[in-house]
Amino acid sequence: MKFTVDWLKQYIDFSYDPQELADRLTMAGLEVDAVCEIFTELKDVKVAEILEAHPHPDADRLQVCDVQVGEEKKRIVCGAPNARPGIFVPVALPGVVLAGGFKIKKSKIRGQASEGMLCSAKELGLADDADGILELAGVSESGQSVVEALGLNETLIEVDLTPNRPDCASVIGTAREIAAMSGNPLKLPVGKDSLPKLNGSPSFKISVEDDSLCPRYVARRMTGLTVAPSPWWLQKRLISVGQRPINNVVDATNFVMLEFGQPLHAFDFKKLAKAEVVVRTARPGEKLTTLDGQERDLEPGMLMVCDADKPVAVAGVMGGGNSEVDDNTTEILLESACFNAVSVRKTSRNLKLSTDASYRFERGVDPQLAPVAMERLVQILTDIAGATVEEGGVDLAGGVPSPVEYTLRVSQTNRLLGTDFSAARISGYLSSIEMAVRQIDGDTLGVTPPSFRIDIEREADLIEEVTRLFGYNEIGTSLPVVPMSFANRDVGRALKKEVAAVLMANSCYEAINYSFVSPEHADFLGFGAEDERRQAVKILNPLTEDQSVMRRSLLPALLENVRRNINHQNGDARLFEVGKVFVPTDGGGQPHEETRLGVVLSGRRHGQAPALYFDQDATDFSDVKGVALSLLKELRLGQVEFAPDDQGNPYVDSSQALLLVADGVTIGQLGCFAKQCLKNFAIKQDVYFIDIHFDALTALDPAPKKFTPLPKYPSVQRDIAILVPESVATGEMVSAMWDQRQKLVECVELFDVYRGKNIAEGFKSVAISVTYRSHDKTLQEKAVAKVHQRIVDMVLSRFDGILREV
Amino acid sequence: MEEALQALKVEASSDLAAIAGANDLEPFRIKYFGRKSPFALLMRQLGDAPKEDRPRLGQLANELKNDLQLLFDDKKASLAHGAGEASDIDLTLPGRMQPQGKLHPVTQIMEEICEIFEGLGFTVAEGPDIETDFYNFEALNIPAHHPARDMHDTFYVDDSILLRTHTSPMQARVMETKEPPLRVIAPGKVYRCDSDITHTPMFHQVEGFLVDSNVSFADLKGVLSVFIAKMFDESTPIRFRPSFFPFTEPSAEVDIGCVMCNSKGCRVCKQTGWLEILGAGMIDPEVFKKVDYDPEVYSGFAFGLGVERIAMLKYGINDIRLYYENDLRFLRQF
Repeated sequence: MKFTVDWLKQYIDFSYDPQELADRLTMAGLEVDAVCEIFTELKDVKVAEILEAHPHPDADRLQVCDVQVGEEKKRIVCGAPNARPGIFVPVALPGVVLAGGFKIKKSKIRGQASEGMLCSAKELGLADDADGILELAGVSESGQSVVEALGLNETLIEVDLTPNRPDCASVIGTAREIAAMSGNPLKLPVGKDSLPKLNGSPSFKISVEDDSLCPRYVARRMTGLTVAPSPWWLQKRLISVGQRPINNVVDATNFVMLEFGQPLHAFDFKKLAKAEVVVRTARPGEKLTTLDGQERDLEPGMLMVCDADKPVAVAGVMGGGNSEVDDNTTEILLESACFNAVSVRKTSRNLKLSTDASYRFERGVDPQLAPVAMERLVQILTDIAGATVEEGGVDLAGGVPSPVEYTLRVSQTNRLLGTDFSAARISGYLSSIEMAVRQIDGDTLGVTPPSFRIDIEREADLIEEVTRLFGYNEIGTSLPVVPMSFANRDVGRALKKEVAAVLMANSCYEAINYSFVSPEHADFLGFGAEDERRQAVKILNPLTEDQSVMRRSLLPALLENVRRNINHQNGDARLFEVGKVFVPTDGGGQPHEETRLGVVLSGRRHGQAPALYFDQDATDFSDVKGVALSLLKELRLGQVEFAPDDQGNPYVDSSQALLLVADGVTIGQLGCFAKQCLKNFAIKQDVYFIDIHFDALTALDPAPKKFTPLPKYPSVQRDIAILVPESVATGEMVSAMWDQRQKLVECVELFDVYRGKNIAEGFKSVAISVTYRSHDKTLQEKAVAKVHQRIVDMVLSRFDGILREV
Repeated sequence: MEEALQALKVEASSDLAAIAGANDLEPFRIKYFGRKSPFALLMRQLGDAPKEDRPRLGQLANELKNDLQLLFDDKKASLAHGAGEASDIDLTLPGRMQPQGKLHPVTQIMEEICEIFEGLGFTVAEGPDIETDFYNFEALNIPAHHPARDMHDTFYVDDSILLRTHTSPMQARVMETKEPPLRVIAPGKVYRCDSDITHTPMFHQVEGFLVDSNVSFADLKGVLSVFIAKMFDESTPIRFRPSFFPFTEPSAEVDIGCVMCNSKGCRVCKQTGWLEILGAGMIDPEVFKKVDYDPEVYSGFAFGLGVERIAMLKYGINDIRLYYENDLRFLRQF
């Protein structure tokens, strides 16, 4: 909703400056979005008086004009046929930039120097037509800014109207709010008391099929009309709020709509078959070409304004081309009606057609406004179009509801607000906004809202009004007194914090990606046509194809993050995300939402650490396994084990992958992305990942924290180096040594795997350190040797090993 | 003999002090600890001393020798580390830092918000991102064809399933299953089909609500004032102004004094000196009726705030699209 301060002052006196006005409106619940000067881009365009106009010596259609701009004289070449001595016109001198960035320069036009441009209304952005240069009627002084000469030096205020205040979708509605806050009277151009009686027997017939869809329909006929451009005062009002003047009839209907909030329409009377209007729903197969030139297929249920034969307007939305007022129109039928909000909204949605009229009807128009706005429109058209109104008219008001009285309890008001208002005080507030209030009993008021406050329909609505009028900031503050209770912690939320702490300690940054992704991700991951993981929840109205399906995995977006960082020279990327993926369920309904943990590692292992101290080696599988291990260790989830990857995921390099298995159930995977997958994501370096079903992790019980007494006796360490074939899984050697369950073994640690010099081809040397300790005595050499020998023998025989000397 | 020992100590100490480099250590060692050292000599002469003096003198000689050995070791160690001379350690070298990751700024702010309300006894609850029309709209007094639906540019999955446009559905979801008193905050992702310099199609909200008998608008103001004082600054100006949400009545927008310009007026606050920070209000009786709470018995308030917006204000982020690009140059800053 836009209006200028000047326009507002037509209906209410106030002394606030624009900023204070904006502030007061905002605090009254009409949030001001912008306060600005209009047409500031035209402030350098000056008024010129044409002194002389000579024909251009070398061009038939051009004239060379000598113009006076204040003190200066300029010579300007102009192509407008209406350029003639004695008129005042806008001039853009060299250096001025017009709308669209068009910069005026000194130039030569067909050999004649031209020091600027005389402008049309179109060139100034004031109108759509450019029929010659704009003649500034009533201006008699050159040199001033055209903005001042036109009276366009105004301040515009834009209000972001909430849906509950349709009564303020007009300049007068806004003025009414200012009347309430300032105590000054509202100056209405037409009062309810001065309305003519519309009975009589008009020369046309109106009928409304269902008055619940059209509670009120007021119509009058005007004759002897001349369609022409509107006078400047009317054009100026429309231009100042960003509307384009069209002709006097259309402009007047638009003006009154903006002024009062009542949408209006003018039909060319002669185009209405049998001088008849029927408000009815559309019939199957009916069509109407609306004023925007589009042919619309009408659906049964859509409310139409029709003549005897056919629809002539979509009720409350847009008129039809078949009854449009044109340059030859001399008789019009004016419509000022109230249409059902839901009906207009449905129709507007179905036709994908939203207009100033539908905006107002959807939110609700005061049914008592129709005759008032009609009278105002008739007055203006009488005035500016030379039209005569036919006596009488039609006012069908069968659907207009009677005023309703609501009860308001003083005690409930005070309870809800934490205030101590008296009945008289509440009554005073409500009376100030034209509500009729009577005291029913000591605690109860009967309140009848004015017809324009269609949003007030309950006690709660009245309490809100009291709050608003008292002032939200005037209400005190207190803290609620609530019985103490323990706020249970969400397990998943607590675990997310722990997981994040471990991953951050591993140099990983948290990422947050959109929940919707490109369907192409399924291709990039290499899923076959029948792969179940292609089934994603689709969004019916996505913004872009790239965000059209709900993600099934966190990994693709994390890969895109890696690519983005590589492209910005941050190839050493370690990222993690804990977020939901969405699995469609059979038979529709809400999909299954599953929380997952995704981690990606790429680039150098110590890419973010000082290069002086750390090697510059690339991340490898052991890094990602290390991150997984530190997660399991810190979370005390010893029951989760690594297992060979038998999943065959196409996006995984199967030679570098493991599964995470808890109690026989796979809960995640880690490994290296397959080369093809990385290629699909346009990544040219290795990326390692962990992908864990976070909800499953949440369901696991962490090992309890339990104290073990510190050892009293020293330990003994024995190192062994064993030559084994390459095919031996080193990890299994270590496990096998552990699994011996020799009671003196405290720790088995792998500390070197060596290949190369002195080692035969196809073999590797595995060095393992075993720590022995007894909890009740200092170990003697003999006791250690015995156990150690047993372990060594076992390993050698089981893994075909040869003991090396160390 | 005793005097000789004392004299030897003085001489040795001064010799040791005179040593300037590692090269002088060995001659000193040979001189004082070698087989022909004065100590060795004196020890051999110990046999000539009176019998009753021998233990005392022997002990003294040993102490002296041990003291000297300690001094010598210290000297040796200090020469090895260059003490006394210009240090070999370049203290300007970088520390051997093990880099850590960080939480996303949105998570950081969300946690900060949750912690403030948890401190006030609120419980955290989370709900589905993909909601039903019922919880997202109907239960919140936004029937089909209500113009308030225009305030929500909704992504639909089908006619009745949608991406939640706010975290407010959690009001109905929690109230449906629990009886008052309730103090709940519900953080989460929300979605609107709107994307430009100031909107991303996904963002984060924290919904909060408190229901009990006799909860008032003054209580709402009190709780939100505490929150703003903790989240921003004790002296941050706050104002409440009328607004409209179908699920609260009265409804309020809460503004804080612009943190960018200290309320002087700037581009961020559109010259008003105020920044909209959250929406709130008293829970509408219609919402209570939908979950079978008696509005004559219970009252409560609800509020919702946008996490990204608060992060922008606190950290001075000026382009919200940065939030979901996960560019390390961005993530490292917080």
